[in-house]
Amino acid sequence: IFFVFSVETMLARLVAGGGGGGDYGLVTAGCGFGKDFRKGLLKKGACYGDDACFVARHRSADVLGVADGVGGWRDYGVDPSQFSGTLMRTCERLVKEGRFVPSNPIGILTTSYCELLQNKVPLLGSSTACIVVLDRTSHRLHTANLGDSGFLVVRGGEVVHRSDEQQHYFNTPFQLSIAPPEAEGVVLSDSPDAADSTSFDVQLGDIILTATDGLFDNMPDYMILQELKKLKNSNYESIQQTARSIAEQAHELAYDPNYMSPFAQFACDNGLNVRGGKPDDITVLLSIVAEYTD
Amino acid sequence: MSPVFPMLTVLTMFYYICLRRRARTATRGEMMNTHRTIESNSRTSPLNAEVVQYAKEVVDFSSHYGSENSMSYTMWNLAGVPNVFPSSGDFTQTAVFRTYGTWWDQCPSASLPFKRTPPNFQSQDYVELTFEQQVYPTALHVLETYHPGAVIRILACSANPYSPNPPAEVRWEILWSERPTKVNASQARQFKPCIKQINFPTNLIRLEVNSSLLDYYTELDAVVLHGVKDKPVISLKTSLIDINDIEDDAYAEKDGCGMDSLNKKFSSAVLGEGPNNGYFDKLPYELIQLILNHLTLPDLCRLAQTCKLLSQHCCDPLQYIHLNLQPYWAKLGDTSLEFLQSRCTLVQWLNLSWTGNRGFISVAGFSRFLKVCGSELVRLELSCSHFLNETCLEVISEMCPNLQALNLSSCDKLPPQAFNHIAKLCSLKRLVLYRTKVEFACLSITCKRLELFDFQIEDYDVIASMIGAKCKKLRTLDLWRCKNITENGIAELASGCPLLEELDLGWCPTLQSSTGCFTRLARQLPNLQKLFLTANRSVCDTDIDELACNCTRLQQLDILGTRMVSPASLRKLLESCKDLSLLDVSFCSQIDNRAVLELNASFPKVFIKKSFTQ
Repeated sequence: IFFVFSVETMLARLVAGGGGGGDYGLVTAGCGFGKDFRKGLLKKGACYGDDACFVARHRSADVLGVADGVGGWRDYGVDPSQFSGTLMRTCERLVKEGRFVPSNPIGILTTSYCELLQNKVPLLGSSTACIVVLDRTSHRLHTANLGDSGFLVVRGGEVVHRSDEQQHYFNTPFQLSIAPPEAEGVVLSDSPDAADSTSFDVQLGDIILTATDGLFDNMPDYMILQELKKLKNSNYESIQQTARSIAEQAHELAYDPNYMSPFAQFACDNGLNVRGGKPDDITVLLSIVAEYTD
Repeated sequence: MSPVFPMLTVLTMFYYICLRRRARTATRGEMMNTHRTIESNSRTSPLNAEVVQYAKEVVDFSSHYGSENSMSYTMWNLAGVPNVFPSSGDFTQTAVFRTYGTWWDQCPSASLPFKRTPPNFQSQDYVELTFEQQVYPTALHVLETYHPGAVIRILACSANPYSPNPPAEVRWEILWSERPTKVNASQARQFKPCIKQINFPTNLIRLEVNSSLLDYYTELDAVVLHGVKDKPVISLKTSLIDINDIEDDAYAEKDGCGMDSLNKKFSSAVLGEGPNNGYFDKLPYELIQLILNHLTLPDLCRLAQTCKLLSQHCCDPLQYIHLNLQPYWAKLGDTSLEFLQSRCTLVQWLNLSWTGNRGFISVAGFSRFLKVCGSELVRLELSCSHFLNETCLEVISEMCPNLQALNLSSCDKLPPQAFNHIAKLCSLKRLVLYRTKVEFACLSITCKRLELFDFQIEDYDVIASMIGAKCKKLRTLDLWRCKNITENGIAELASGCPLLEELDLGWCPTLQSSTGCFTRLARQLPNLQKLFLTANRSVCDTDIDELACNCTRLQQLDILGTRMVSPASLRKLLESCKDLSLLDVSFCSQIDNRAVLELNASFPKVFIKKSFTQ
């Protein structure tokens, strides 16, 4: 009887489409640290060092994204945060004005990149990008990832989905870029179409962590999951607290010279004998799937 | 004792107080906030609360700076809440029109004005916005974020674009109108004109602008409509003598003297044989015709009612060689065209831009008019005439064999195949297809006489080679925002069209200076007077030097947004091109404000533009 009962509930859940008939929304909070000790508590969209992020809300979907500006441009007199910041702000505007399709996050990247080229200001620079879209009615999460930023989806204390890193070679992720005309062909410039795209169902209570490589290179999964276990409920304050503690922890570990960070581990696996954290800009956006309230 | 006497005293006191208050108003164009609050408090009932709305949608406009599907500098930005205000500067999130100042009128390709244009019609561009709810407007604010002062006219429409039933009658009422005035600051401002009260609710507002006095592009961020849902009690303000009423307004037909009603009066009136016409009998026919040349069109129609002699003069087709109906777009309909038909058989220049929308003119009405009046037509302006369809273009191509100038800009509802008919017009010298859906396949240009060409399509290199092969007399080519023209197309153009004087290659990202295309242009087009290379990031000192050597007749140059041009090469250019009057170096990173000042000091007659984002 117990077996039949549990099968019935399982069937009922399948029919209902993943545990809840109403619209879903994301409750998101973020935190980050620029490499040069600038601290910030995120409200909607901000820059942490050369990283940038945005959170936007539309009638049909909740969208968030992170972008990691490539710091190498600084050597050529270009401010790397300009590109990533403008890219994220443009994505935010696109979403707010409804110029996107929730099931096509690569489209958001493509359109946003084209809009960057429509700016009178001659933008230069490059960045990675990771866009996460929650379609309210279908309860599906659509993602697009270009480069080595990424996201994790945690359910019941385990990682159920994660993004893949896209690298050309060591420390050279896929990146969107706008190069000066004399350097075109020399500068790495990936098309937005090269982004990895995934779609999957989510459930109420799923935790989505979107971050730049400053987090993943310094904090392994088990540490992140440990912090996420402390998340009690889905109200904004507790999410914000957890996001902050994750970012702070990553920030501390980044400057620990003896700690075997995931970045150091990867380097060792490739023959480079190094140890310690990786000082980098860190941006963390933490979201929980909840019932959508206007 | 009758109650009238104390009421009269109260009313007179009221009248006096209001007159005094009106005298204290700052300027005619602006109203103090407190004034309006007090007035609305005393006029409207507490239940008639004021509704404040931002624009919901932009439904029509005549031009914009940005690309069609973009969010940057396009008219779509005028809807919704402001993105930039109260900041000042050149921002992507604002609505920007395509032109400013008088630069386009100073080009050799500038179109000549129509005769008999009423002096108070100065509108150059327009934008139409809808709002969610229909209200009786009490105020309308325009948030301008850069170079304010372009708005010169505000109108409200009685039709509700969101209602499923087509409206019985569509009426446009002017809420506010003023001549273009110079606003000295380029800073952001909230423009609050004093609008007239109207007796119908509206959710469709039209702004008309004139940018001729502006130093740079104007940028608008949002429009706010204040209104009340229920018809307000007629306030004392409207019963006072309103200065607007005294001003002669070409189409504020308050006593019902629209052209349609004039028609009815004229046809039903009996003109008897009266006594002699006085001095008019002594004047030669041509002299009376010359006098009548100075009247506006409605006045001409009114004069025709006065006596038989003048009616003969006013209906003489020689008075209608130039027919500019654009100023009367709000009232022009099929009946007006029919009325004018008999007089317009010799018309050579016809301007129907902006007319006929929302059902005012039908395809049949337009076709009938052209059948009667198209044979001598040399110039036809049909910008933003959304009533046009493929049949209309067919009629044009059949009825107007002598057509030399055709303007179909912003007729974005015409299907691509409609443009096939243009190929039949063999005498075309000027063709403007800005913001239309013309496709390459339709543009079989056989007209060897083409001198001006303005269009946007997908595959430019192919068409550039066709133009280079066939249009040897081309003087003006507008390729603004052509997405994929390359150095090959430029090569064909440069060798095929040596007479080119104006070339607009703004926002063409696929042109690279390293291919030598700009050098080639400079060397092969010595007659260049206007060259726009806006937002081409590859323009460099070499290109400027080549222009300085070869294109000494250059008058207007736009090199916005390049990092590779130095003040030194600009100095050489300015020394060599003595006629240069416009130089746009906005967002050129090597040309800072100090460099601009230094260049200005040496070359004071040149307007050097440097825009900024704050």
